[in-house]
Amino acid sequence: MPLKRPSVQWPWHGLLALILLGLAIGLWVATKRVNYEWRWARVPQYFFYQAEDTQAAPVAGTINKINPNGAYSQVDITPANGGQAVSLTVETDTLKVKIGDPVAEGDGIGAQRHWKIGPLSWGLWVTIWISFVSGLIGLFIGLITGLCRLSPNPALRGLAVFYIELIRGTPLLVQIFIFYFFIGTVLNLDRIVAGIGALALFVGAYTAEIIRAGIQSIAKGQTEAARSLGMTAAQTMTHIVLPQALKRVLPPLAGQFISLIKDSSLVSVIAITDLTKSGREIITSSFATFEIWFTVALLYLVVTSLLSQLLFWLERRFARSD
Amino acid sequence: MIKVNNLVKVFSGRGKPIRAVDNVSTQVSKGEVVVIIGPSGSGKSTFLRCLNGLEAFDDGQVIIDGVDLGDSKTNINIVRREVGMVFQHFNLFPHKTVFENVTLAQRIVRKRTAAEADAKAMALLNKVGIAEKAPEYPSRLSGGQQQRVAIARALAMDPKVMLFDEPTSALDPEMVGEVLDVMQQLAREGMTMAVVTHEMGFAREVAQRVLFMDAGKILEDAPPAEFFTAPKEPRARAFLKQVL
Ligand SMILES: Nc1ncnc2c1ncn2[C@@H]1O[C@H](COP(=O)(O)OP(=O)(O)O)[C@@H](O)[C@H]1O
Ligand SMILES: [Mg+2]
Repeated sequence: MPLKRPSVQWPWHGLLALILLGLAIGLWVATKRVNYEWRWARVPQYFFYQAEDTQAAPVAGTINKINPNGAYSQVDITPANGGQAVSLTVETDTLKVKIGDPVAEGDGIGAQRHWKIGPLSWGLWVTIWISFVSGLIGLFIGLITGLCRLSPNPALRGLAVFYIELIRGTPLLVQIFIFYFFIGTVLNLDRIVAGIGALALFVGAYTAEIIRAGIQSIAKGQTEAARSLGMTAAQTMTHIVLPQALKRVLPPLAGQFISLIKDSSLVSVIAITDLTKSGREIITSSFATFEIWFTVALLYLVVTSLLSQLLFWLERRFARSD
Repeated sequence: MIKVNNLVKVFSGRGKPIRAVDNVSTQVSKGEVVVIIGPSGSGKSTFLRCLNGLEAFDDGQVIIDGVDLGDSKTNINIVRREVGMVFQHFNLFPHKTVFENVTLAQRIVRKRTAAEADAKAMALLNKVGIAEKAPEYPSRLSGGQQQRVAIARALAMDPKVMLFDEPTSALDPEMVGEVLDVMQQLAREGMTMAVVTHEMGFAREVAQRVLFMDAGKILEDAPPAEFFTAPKEPRARAFLKQVL
């Protein structure tokens, strides 16, 4: 039918909403079945929590004065041995003493609260920076390997192929174990260094193939034009071929980096406290298993979708010269 | 300026080897404009590409301005600065503006200062009549404009020789003239040029000599007046009958 008609979309949106609702209900019923008690209220404290710092009397003496000042109170203690009066500041609602109370050295007077970063936030941060650092190193390794892969020198080419096949043909989990227990022991590496090293080598092999494909996708005429102007092979690569190739492979490179963020969860097996490991540790004390795993999954999702957005924006900016 | 002795280039891909350039000898003197014509696949591009080392030849000798390309001591990158090349498909750098296309090699090959390179680029873009497009990216230009930028880019290296490989074949007919005009002006200024083209008008008006190639060999080498009125070779005659 050549005539274009406005197509009706809303029934399909409705169906989508219905399916999602059905999934949610199914989830709810399933948890009802196993008598799971949701304790979502327990989750936020693992992001940030208020730590109480007990303020103890530094000397034995008597409480001489309590000076309430809004949320805080100043407590003065007259030392028993008759020295200078000592004063402490505590939060009023944590005050444990009255005027005239005798205190011994080390007795709690009250507490000061302050915000602390919880294990989930900390784990998220570790995941992000480990991924970032190993991604950066991996990009560098991939660039070098990709160039070697295309080198006319058979030794360089062979080495690059060997490395790429080795990494792509073995599971990341096994690579992490080998890197930590073998290379890490031989070179006496810190577990973080071993984890970053294993991830960087892993992502480097995949990046190398992406970069090789990118370089090969640039028309031969570009190299010929550059060489005919007298540029060396290296100048041609850095000024002409690589900038165009990198721009072209930005989407698969970003995809690789997004995968890396997820793959980095495997370093938790060598006791690096990343987001996944934090989640596991929290569950042993909170008994909020479902909530924590859902939260952890959501955090990964948030980070990866933010990256996708960033990529989208970058691609639009780079499209200028097209 | 260009001296070619017994040049041989063989492509030995799958199947039987192709002698793309088969024992070619010729010379181009300083300030001379030579047009190379011949049927498709006769080895014109390959011959031209041997002259600046884009194609490594199998036998013979190519001497550019006294420098032997076959000599192992010759730095090909230094020779190429002196030999500009213009391609059928322009091959402008798409990630650089028109202006950067013309300045880049000046900066990194000729090691000119930014001021020198910029002045030279502006002068050349003016010369090819496209200065107002300097800040644009090549994709925003028409084919004729792109080819003129490519000529300016090659000229920016102050070459002693210019090679043109079918510079107007990829252009819409109405843009052919603007590129040929630039080339004609260049010839008038005394540039040594080797031009592969199917533009017989250009060959007649501008060239001092026409080389007719077929199957890797130069079959005829004559001034245009002679070549177009009385070609000696039967194959040249047949070719001219087809294109004229
Ligand atoms: N890179 C290559 N590999 C193999 N054969 C080639 C290559 N380039 C050109 N040839 C062959 O060499 C011959 C001459 O080609 P070319 O110089 O491009 O001819 P022309 O420019 O006159 O059309 C043709 O038979 C072509 O198929
Ligand atoms: Mg050709």
